[in-house]
Amino acid sequence: MAARVLGWLAALALVAGLVAAFGYAPREAVQGNVQRIMYLHVPAVLTAYLAFGLVFLGSLGYLLTRRPGWDRLALAAAEPGVLFTGITIASGSIWGKPTWGTWWTWDARLTSTAVLFLVYVGYLLLRGMVDEPDRRARAAAVVGILGAANIPIVHFSVKWWRALHQPATILGPESSPIATPIALALFTNWIAFTLLFAYLLAKRMQIARLEDMHAG
Amino acid sequence: MPDNWSYVFSAYGLAAVVLLGYWRRLAGRAKSLAARGARRAA
Repeated sequence: MAARVLGWLAALALVAGLVAAFGYAPREAVQGNVQRIMYLHVPAVLTAYLAFGLVFLGSLGYLLTRRPGWDRLALAAAEPGVLFTGITIASGSIWGKPTWGTWWTWDARLTSTAVLFLVYVGYLLLRGMVDEPDRRARAAAVVGILGAANIPIVHFSVKWWRALHQPATILGPESSPIATPIALALFTNWIAFTLLFAYLLAKRMQIARLEDMHAG
Repeated sequence: MPDNWSYVFSAYGLAAVVLLGYWRRLAGRAKSLAARGARRAA
């Protein structure tokens, strides 16, 4: 029931996000309309950070308590986290071609995001390789905790190394220089992606609980 | 700078395909597990 409500809220918020991105936000003065990819790219990476933060929490919770619910939380957050990271990389690459003139470059932000993606793909592969539930959960928890160390590296990479990618304009140390309509459209899409993630998380946790019941 | 709408629609289209695909996969999995549970109960 809660998942269904979340699903409808997410659907409504996504429609609002699209209206904000394409109807409300103005055409950006320098990049033109291609800048509208930002309303997808930035919320996707922020949602991935949230997802992998929950993988960290679930992993830590499992190692401390050995309760399967924590492991289910970690698994349920990891799958959408990988999808949102994949969307971040793909949308960034598509945005990069007309603005930077290349689909990909080994810039610190891009490379660290690719590493983040591969770590959590590895996390999911590892889960598929171990049959015994406690061993699987313990091994996955170790990767889930170590993998989270990459999140601050991704976020601060543009500050720590010389990068082609622009520095953080939100979640950065200085106040955001973004114009209000652009910031509002971005915020609407951020909320929409967070609701969508919450829905996918709830749904995946339900499935994981059923899978555990059938396995046990 | 030209508007490059094709890039914009490609990015949003790709994201929509990925997320809808995952949602459908979850819905299918939930359905098959529920059917398995019902078969066991019967």
